[in-house]
Amino acid sequence: MTEGQPPEAPPEEVPAPEDTQYTPSIAARLAFAQRAGGVITPLLTAVFAFFVGGIVVLVTTGKNPLTTYRAIFDGTGLNWLFPWVSGAERTTAALNLQQTLLLTVPLILTGLAVAFAFRCGLFNIGGQGQYTVGAVSAVIAGAYVSTSHLPHVVLAIVVATLAGAAWAGIAGLLKATVGAHEVITTIMLNWIAFWTASWLFGIGGPLQVSGAGNESVPASETVKETAKLPVFWGDPFLQGLHIGFFVAIGALVVYWIILNRTTLGYGVRAVGFNPDAARYGGIPVARNYFLAMAISGGFAGLAGAMDVLGWEFRLDQTSIQASQIGFIGIAVALLGRNSAVGVFFSALLFGALLNGTSTTNLDPSIFRPELAQNLTLIIQGLVVLFVGADVLILYLWSLRRKVRRQARPADAA
Amino acid sequence: MTARVATASWADLRTGRAAGVIGIVLGILAGWVALPPISTRNLVLPVVIGVAGIAAGAWATTRGEKRVGIGAIVASLAGIVVAIFATRASVGNLELVMSWGALTAASLVYATPLTFAAIGGMFSERSGVVNIGLEGMMLIGAFFGAWGADTTDSWIGGLLIALVAGAALALVHAFFAIHLRADQIVSGTAVNFLALGITGYLYINIYGDRGTPPDLPQIPDVNLSRLQDVFFFGDAFGSLNLMIWLSIATVALSYIAMFKTPAGLRIRSVGEHPKAADTVGIPVYRTRYVAVVVSGMLAALGGTFLSIGFNHSFTENMTAGRGFIALAALIFGGWRPVGAFAAALLFGFSSALAQRLGLVESWQSYQLLFQTLPYVLTLIAVAGVIGRSIPPAAVGRPYVK
Amino acid sequence: MADEPILELRSITKRFPGIVANDGIDFDLRRGEAHALLGENGAGKSTLMNVVFGLYQPDEGEIRVKGEPVAMKSPRDAINHGIGMVHQHFMLVPVMTIAENIALANAPTHAGVLLDMDAAEKRVAELSRTFHFALDPRARIENITVGQQQRVEILKALDRNADILILDEPTAVLTPQEARELFAILETLKREGISIIFISHKLNEVLEIADRISVLRRGKLIETVPREGATEAGLARMMVGREVLLRVEKAPPEPGETLLEIDGLNVRDDRGLPAVRDVSLTVRAGEIVGIAGVDGNGQTELIDALSGLRRSESGRIVLAGRDITNRDARYVLDAGYGHVPEDRQRRGLVLDFSLAENIALHDYAEPPDSRFGWLFPGRLIARARRLLQEFDVRGGGPRTRAAALSGGNQQKVVLAREIGRDPRVLLAAQPTRGLDVGAIEFVHRRLVEERDEGRAILLVSLELEEILSLADRILVIYEGRIVGEFGPDVSEEELGIAMTGGGRETEAA
Repeated sequence: MTEGQPPEAPPEEVPAPEDTQYTPSIAARLAFAQRAGGVITPLLTAVFAFFVGGIVVLVTTGKNPLTTYRAIFDGTGLNWLFPWVSGAERTTAALNLQQTLLLTVPLILTGLAVAFAFRCGLFNIGGQGQYTVGAVSAVIAGAYVSTSHLPHVVLAIVVATLAGAAWAGIAGLLKATVGAHEVITTIMLNWIAFWTASWLFGIGGPLQVSGAGNESVPASETVKETAKLPVFWGDPFLQGLHIGFFVAIGALVVYWIILNRTTLGYGVRAVGFNPDAARYGGIPVARNYFLAMAISGGFAGLAGAMDVLGWEFRLDQTSIQASQIGFIGIAVALLGRNSAVGVFFSALLFGALLNGTSTTNLDPSIFRPELAQNLTLIIQGLVVLFVGADVLILYLWSLRRKVRRQARPADAA
Repeated sequence: MTARVATASWADLRTGRAAGVIGIVLGILAGWVALPPISTRNLVLPVVIGVAGIAAGAWATTRGEKRVGIGAIVASLAGIVVAIFATRASVGNLELVMSWGALTAASLVYATPLTFAAIGGMFSERSGVVNIGLEGMMLIGAFFGAWGADTTDSWIGGLLIALVAGAALALVHAFFAIHLRADQIVSGTAVNFLALGITGYLYINIYGDRGTPPDLPQIPDVNLSRLQDVFFFGDAFGSLNLMIWLSIATVALSYIAMFKTPAGLRIRSVGEHPKAADTVGIPVYRTRYVAVVVSGMLAALGGTFLSIGFNHSFTENMTAGRGFIALAALIFGGWRPVGAFAAALLFGFSSALAQRLGLVESWQSYQLLFQTLPYVLTLIAVAGVIGRSIPPAAVGRPYVK
Repeated sequence: MADEPILELRSITKRFPGIVANDGIDFDLRRGEAHALLGENGAGKSTLMNVVFGLYQPDEGEIRVKGEPVAMKSPRDAINHGIGMVHQHFMLVPVMTIAENIALANAPTHAGVLLDMDAAEKRVAELSRTFHFALDPRARIENITVGQQQRVEILKALDRNADILILDEPTAVLTPQEARELFAILETLKREGISIIFISHKLNEVLEIADRISVLRRGKLIETVPREGATEAGLARMMVGREVLLRVEKAPPEPGETLLEIDGLNVRDDRGLPAVRDVSLTVRAGEIVGIAGVDGNGQTELIDALSGLRRSESGRIVLAGRDITNRDARYVLDAGYGHVPEDRQRRGLVLDFSLAENIALHDYAEPPDSRFGWLFPGRLIARARRLLQEFDVRGGGPRTRAAALSGGNQQKVVLAREIGRDPRVLLAAQPTRGLDVGAIEFVHRRLVEERDEGRAILLVSLELEEILSLADRILVIYEGRIVGEFGPDVSEEELGIAMTGGGRETEAA
């Protein structure tokens, strides 16, 4: 500080009185949380959420939460990573891990969808609808087009990605042109996708599976062999892990590159942090809202394609209506703090949780899978509440600053 | 401001604005003449009216009244489309779907949960706290209403327990949004997930695969025997659920509470300029807490109506986005009770229409598609109007002392 | 008895992390007097009054009201002890009427349940009549003038039976004429037995209105003196601790070709009301043109229209030979426009971006920063390093987040970016707002240097002193119109009169 007067209020980061009306954008908040909390707070938050989940188990069912979590963990196949697991146990673990990663793939992508929008200051709560639209498009492209293998796969993926982008683009366009809040529009688009997809493949629907005996099956046609993603780990007949895993990893890289190495990403981040400054800097804010939303939807649509072309191969009403992949993407993005690496690990966590609590993997005598699935929702809610609310971080950060200030009393003079 | 708007519309009467409004009316008329009781079977009349509406809209647009003008054109086109469908449908089907009495009753039924939640949202947002968690608060009300009715063997018990549950969940949102200054949209989303998880968990844990018992106590209907035989009114209002009447009473009461009492004045001041409120000694945090908790209780009432007033059971995620539609109704209604109620009726009407369209034998296969109607309508409403709707100035901003 | 203090502060100390804002301050206020609290920005005046009003808790010391020691835990306590405060930023709800704002604090009711707005309106009307406030109880705050809003604030305090009134920099937002009206009102209040604390850093008005004057400097009370015998020079010395002269060394301008030409410009504000009316002006290469005016007279809308951020109704703007009327910000920037915005934290910088990224804000989408949409962070950093050095930015390098810098260094980053693009025309809006003396000097010197480089500079400032020390020509804006043009030697009084909008309404001052 120069030879001037001491400022009336504490300097710098403490906002001046007239600044209290200024609310940081969601992008700024999360960036702050990331700087302040590093990886420690998300980890702590996750542990805390599991702890609360454990209490729920104990109180409502009287079962030992540790046994329950242990059973869930064994179902995830993550014990495959332990070198001492061997023999038949290892084989089972490998199968389980393939299933976990199978779920991690779409979660990475829907997580990226939410994260990308966050970086532009938008809350894309419509990942579920974009995922559905992508899945439906992939089924249509996979089942009704005939071509050779590689072009077919590529076509189905591209169509699904574009469809997801277009679906989210509606919300982006409404935000950019009339300022309609994306939270409401994307939720509405979710339900429109939900019912339209249910109708398309429902009984009497226009795209219901054809053939004798199928009249009462509310499902789509199965995609052709040429549209299926090859399996690279495990048995294709036992739902091995398909190459979509590498697509998801690639998407993480693309996400990072777009944001940090392209002018598009620069614009998106500038708008996300401070739309006023961006507008003043000559950056077209409305266009960035639209683009960010469309790209975000593209990731979610791609997620739908991965599931359909990788292991589901067809859509039925139940799976459309029960899917939560897009919603979990919100928790994935928040827990992963919008960073590519973070999204990977939190997608893995939720993938494991989903798989570990699935009906096939969780022994009902230890804990009912239906209950465990709702437990996952509770844990997800707690994660969003605590990570999204960046409470712990704010608290720790203020502590740290106090300590720092006391360590430098010389500043005052 | 009021004065300015009034003078502006008076001056505009002879210019584009009036033409636009007339265009919208013509558009509605174009569709209406093809429906019962008039049921014109010839397309000429609706098309002529509709084209006139489009012309009026175009005139308004050229005179600088873009929004109204485009609204008129859209309304007129929609009217013509409705007329085309109506004239092509059989008279029998038409009368089955467009039975005005039953349609009104159904609209009220579908509007009721929306009304409760939207009014609840009004309290929260007028105090400056965005409540995306309405959906979750409705859902928790739906479950605990059903569970409470089941355990106390009384629908009143159900209502009371639902109120407590809604208040508790709202308290979580309030604590994070007000005290910890969390991002209110994120915290509301978390509340929604929590509600989904908690209700799903308890539902499975308590009711397992059987579902809620079939003899669940129900909120009674109010039978107005004198009305029964009166044309239209009998079908529309003759035997509505108690909660529907309660929701209408809530609209009136909340209008008085918000605009005619000191408490309402305080809530509004806290949502517009919390610092100003603080400096005159109004406790900002406490006011916001109360408003958010009230919003949770009202949303829970809406949910309770769904489970023990309307569906006679609880199912997982049964609110199906209604909390968000209620939010849209709130915005559409300009953060005012009567406006929100009108918007809820509009959205309720679209649900009712979807349901009645599904009654037609030959359209059975479209039944699921009709379900999108309320969501599409909400989307259009959000796109068309909301940019114009001015929210409370401090909504979404945590207050720092 | 009349001399018994109604309010007494005994050795009040208030510390913030790293700073002692108030250091053992003793202060007393007598019944019916106007007591001025004089000091520079940051001397601790507002902190002290926030302590009195219960917004801050003192770390040490005692507050006595009418002889009783009291604890001010919140504004409510202060209000209960008869203290009212008129903040610099008005604490009024804009969408509500005057009566509603009054009723907020103290609502009359029917039977304790329903609001009695008639009673509230009647009360406002009565008070307004008693003190000659001329307020319409049903007018909405957003539709009345700033001076009227201030009277509502005073009314609000009076309505709650305040006998101590704190006014925080009350004239900062007023035109000289409105200030005169305020002083008349304060005289009335004093006659009614109300005691007034008047916070200010303006010597002349303190000498005009105060009975006693307390001077604060760097958190300490220097002296309390009666008005009789106090002189501007003496007070200034106490305030600053040394003689100050804020005049910038500069040579006479050598104006060249016209680089900015605004012709008949009309712009509306956010509410759709005319804000800029028929403004015409020119700025030539090598001169600084200052726009003086009280806040809210169309400056913001003029700046926005010029910067491509707001559409104009009619008129023309030509910048370095290119018509930029209603073109977007991108086009205007490319035409050779540089802009130091009014609010550097909200507009000038993306606080979460690094300095290198901030410096690239206008040019990131063009070579050499990027090519075919691909960004080259290395080039951003290299340029930032060069500019940061040239503009003497301290406290961080190209990778530092902008939020981590002090206000003065943040402003230097903005200057570095804008000047680094070599603009033909530079708009500086409030370029030294909230900066310390050293940074102010830097900014002023740099602006003069850029003028001498041959740029056309348009300076918009609310600080008359800044305008007077920098501008070669001065335009006064009032209610959206340019109402006068002056040379650099114009007196502050003359400008002040023009800023009230009526050169003809001059009264003996």
